[in-house]
Amino acid sequence: MRFGVVVFPGSNCDADCYHAIGAATGARVEYVWHRDTKISGFDCLVLPGGFSYGDYLRTGAIARFSPVMREIARFAADGGLVLGICNGFQILQEAGLLPGAMRKNESLTFRCQWTWVRVEDNRTPFTLLCEKGQVLRIPIAHYEGNFYLPPEELAEVEGRGQVVMRYSTPAGEVVPEANPNGSLGNTAAVRNAAGNVLGMMPHPERAAEGVLGCEDGRLIFRSVVEYLRGSGR
Amino acid sequence: MKVSELYRGKAKIVWATEDPERVVMEFTEAATAFDGAKRGVIGGKGRCNATMSAILFRYLEGEGIPTHLVEQVAENELLCRRLRIVPLEVVVRNRAAGGISRRLGIAEGTPLARPVLEFSYKSDALGDPMVNDDHALALGLATPRELAQMREMALATNALLRRFLGVRGLELIDFKLEFGRDAAGQLVLGDEISPDTCRLWDIGTGEKLDKDRFRRDLGGVEEAYEEVLRRVQADARAAAGEPVLFDGVVKVTLKEGVLDPQGRTITGALHSLGYRGVEEVRVGKLIEVRLRAADHAEARRQLGEMGQRLLANPVLEDFAFTVEPHGSPTARADPAAAPGTEAGAAGADEAGPQAEAGAGTER
Ligand SMILES: Nc1ncnc2c1ncn2[C@@H]1O[C@H](COP(=O)(O)OP(=O)(O)OP(=O)(O)O)[C@@H](O)[C@H]1O
Ligand SMILES: [Mg+2]
Repeated sequence: MRFGVVVFPGSNCDADCYHAIGAATGARVEYVWHRDTKISGFDCLVLPGGFSYGDYLRTGAIARFSPVMREIARFAADGGLVLGICNGFQILQEAGLLPGAMRKNESLTFRCQWTWVRVEDNRTPFTLLCEKGQVLRIPIAHYEGNFYLPPEELAEVEGRGQVVMRYSTPAGEVVPEANPNGSLGNTAAVRNAAGNVLGMMPHPERAAEGVLGCEDGRLIFRSVVEYLRGSGR
Repeated sequence: MKVSELYRGKAKIVWATEDPERVVMEFTEAATAFDGAKRGVIGGKGRCNATMSAILFRYLEGEGIPTHLVEQVAENELLCRRLRIVPLEVVVRNRAAGGISRRLGIAEGTPLARPVLEFSYKSDALGDPMVNDDHALALGLATPRELAQMREMALATNALLRRFLGVRGLELIDFKLEFGRDAAGQLVLGDEISPDTCRLWDIGTGEKLDKDRFRRDLGGVEEAYEEVLRRVQADARAAAGEPVLFDGVVKVTLKEGVLDPQGRTITGALHSLGYRGVEEVRVGKLIEVRLRAADHAEARRQLGEMGQRLLANPVLEDFAFTVEPHGSPTARADPAAAPGTEAGAAGADEAGPQAEAGAGTER
């Protein structure tokens, strides 16, 4: 079983992801360079957080044209698992692999804080080991995480149950006070229609070990492993 | 601007302005030939000749030849420095045609081994007779220094114009210049440079594209003037088949209905500064793109594509743009203010496929 962590110029959570995935799952982890045009043998590709290309123009706008992105699109089209975290989520949106776009946080400040997210769907490869309705404590760190979709498209995405996590109170109430950035529907994570691509603004790699104060993030990586085992890998 | 008529010539009217050192030259459609024996009207000539003169004077000025042009103030009017015109017409010939063919019996079109320079005494009564340096000096029309300067500037102008027109498919057969003295007494190139004062032949076909079409009743007179203007206006690189430099200005705005936290904060700040009338502020991006493209249409197509693929995020943003040849007066202006994008023209014309999809870029 092999995870790939994609490294763009400006990624800064790549080493954390590399460490956390290995520590949480025992699986093999390798870095994938943004210029790579041939990637093979991976079971899950992770696009980590950071400031790819300095967030110039828009977050993710330039990274999305990296050579590796064509491979990632092909990998996803073949059903490969792709997880975008924070900036990785933004890149996947820019690439059209996930719905929506991120506006600046409503507060117009960079938010770096613990958040609680309620798992809306535990049948995805990334949330398999969670209970439906379980509340995870995972931190966010972003300026542009204010999820937006035009109303009709949002209704479609909601209708298909693509919102996988919502910001909530520790008790699991999805209320405006629990929304750190203004995201429509308190959206914290969405998947594509097929379910094999997930984007999440919270950083599971920053909550994957006891010394970090919380281990909830492990559930994401371990779910992937569980899913892949179940599918015979 | 125009205060009173100073002089009404056969092709232009010279107007005094509020500034005693400046005149407005109004280019008319009147055409004459053979010292006024033949008269007519060439539609569009005023615009063609004024515009072509402005372009060529600007070009020559950039190459170090002082000219009287200040700026083109209307399609057929140039604001110029007022000159005391030297009463000598300076003709430069590269091939035999017109007067020299008649006088010396050289077949029209015969190349001359070196450019030939002639002076004529500006006098309609005498029929503008050709004079030599000694005549000019004896009559006190110019000083020896001025004669030398006129010769030098005329030959330099010839070399520059041959190159400029050459890449546009026009061969400069011969032309006439007028010089004058400015307020400081310096010699400056004046009058006009146009198909009225130049013989221009198409390089490929040898077709005449100048006033000879009128003189000799060859037809297609107006078309020839327009064609010359079109070529002079074309960028030299385009004429030579090379990509042309364009300046694009892309305006990216948040789509209607998308909340703009920055705009809201700025609205609050403006209110606290006392601008109570501010109802809404929305913040967008202005992106200046300098690009080379084969022509204007290609530049426009590429910018539309750039907007769609990279510069704007279609989920959140609309874009509109203007693109003008590099260096043109409207280039690099605000797209909303530039002509051609007002009243939603940008949306219809230049916002690219987004507009077709009904995203509505006009605000
Ligand atoms: N910068 C200038 N300041 C003043 N007069 C000028 C300037 N440039 C050109 N002129 C003069 O303005 C007049 C332009 O009118 P036009 O060319 O119609 O005259 P024309 O009929 O050719 O007669 P002319 O024999 O006087 O040239 C000319 O007399 C020309 O010498
Ligand atoms: Mg004249």
